[in-house]
Amino acid sequence: MSSATRKILVSCAATSGALAFLFIGTNIVYAIPPHVAEQTAWWVWMILLFVFSFILGIFSVLAGVGGGVLFVPIVSGFFPFHLDFIRGAGLLVALSGALSAGAPLMRKGLADLKLGLPMALVGSISSIAGALAGLAMPANVVQLLLGLAIMGIAALMMKARAYGTPDLKEPDALSKMLQISGIYYEESTKSDVSWQIHRTPLGLFLFMIIGFIGGMFGMGAGWANVPVFNMLMGVPLKVAVATSGLVLSINGAAAAWVYIFKGAVVPLIAVPAIGGIMLGSKIGAKLLTKVNTRSVRMIVIIMLVVAGLRSLLKGFGI
Amino acid sequence: MSDKERNTHNIDKVQLVYARVLEMVSHVGIAFLAAGYIVYVLQLLPVSVPIDAIAGNWHLKASEMQQKLHTPAGWSILSSPAALLQGDVVSYLSIYYLAMATVVCLAFASVIFYREKNYLYTTIALLQVVVLLVAASGLIH
Repeated sequence: MSSATRKILVSCAATSGALAFLFIGTNIVYAIPPHVAEQTAWWVWMILLFVFSFILGIFSVLAGVGGGVLFVPIVSGFFPFHLDFIRGAGLLVALSGALSAGAPLMRKGLADLKLGLPMALVGSISSIAGALAGLAMPANVVQLLLGLAIMGIAALMMKARAYGTPDLKEPDALSKMLQISGIYYEESTKSDVSWQIHRTPLGLFLFMIIGFIGGMFGMGAGWANVPVFNMLMGVPLKVAVATSGLVLSINGAAAAWVYIFKGAVVPLIAVPAIGGIMLGSKIGAKLLTKVNTRSVRMIVIIMLVVAGLRSLLKGFGI
Repeated sequence: MSDKERNTHNIDKVQLVYARVLEMVSHVGIAFLAAGYIVYVLQLLPVSVPIDAIAGNWHLKASEMQQKLHTPAGWSILSSPAALLQGDVVSYLSIYYLAMATVVCLAFASVIFYREKNYLYTTIALLQVVVLLVAASGLIH
């Protein structure tokens, strides 16, 4: 079998798997009445959550998004847990994914501390504020806002066109003061790539907003960090993706404590979710070269739209 | 020069230290998380709130569940030394450890920044540690 045929077969299998997952999932939501959910043994839900998170982990890597952004909207639609616990688990999912991937990326100079720390400092403060605001709001309002945010993310994913290494003429004064620039070794071209950034004040402001949204909905924020780093500030794509993980690990930790103190982190739910996403992400990384990632990205966008609509409907009490 | 050496020859010392600490704490964290959960769900140790009670109320808001079941939140899990011998507390602690991992990394980074006389980043790293410690202290909630 040629590699092209194999790629087509694998991508077809992935596509049909995702559609089946979406179709079955949608029906489960409407088919399972609350009393049936209550009658199902807790360990069945835990196994389902682990398997579900495992599949999400695979898809999130193939689609180039963090697991957190898929976890909260989809799990809140298909599982009987209150949104508070799902958001608490979602933050830990995003945090642990970023922690486990962080070390090699830092050693290669792809995740950059001097770029990430100022953004994380403003982002972590606003993520605490976001978490407090999110937990103080009624669940239906959060569902409604989550639905809108998810639809916005899906639109952003459809529109966004990343730049590998943006051509940047002059760094701004604040980035010079913060000593933000770097060099990393690009293995594909066997050469060093140096980079610098601009529009730092606007970037800091947007990281503050992103932190707030991430904390409020318990989502990772790779979907927003990467475009801001790459398209706005001129950070090379690889550095943007890796440094986004560093920012996420700090912002996620800050907001997670708010959820912990509000009793919204329950190990029974959080740990299988973390384990599933982490294992799934490892499998996803191995499948990355074998699957048509563009198709998977489209499937994830469709999943987000469905989850966003579901969230909106729940928000309206429908 | 090997590819590995090429990959790291331009990297700041502080990044390499951060990476080494991060790798260590995250490996321990994942093992702790898995072990804690096994102890919890297999009920190898007694639990402070029965699993069935959690499962029967996980549709409630976090505050409502807490009020009803008196589930632990924050550092109240360590109300007494004996609490450390409860399965759910061990699992909670594994999650807290994960949430504290970045504080450890940042503390090491701030020391390196200081030794390199990079006072700007020493301040930023220490401010970040303060923000995370304030969040972890439960002062804001």
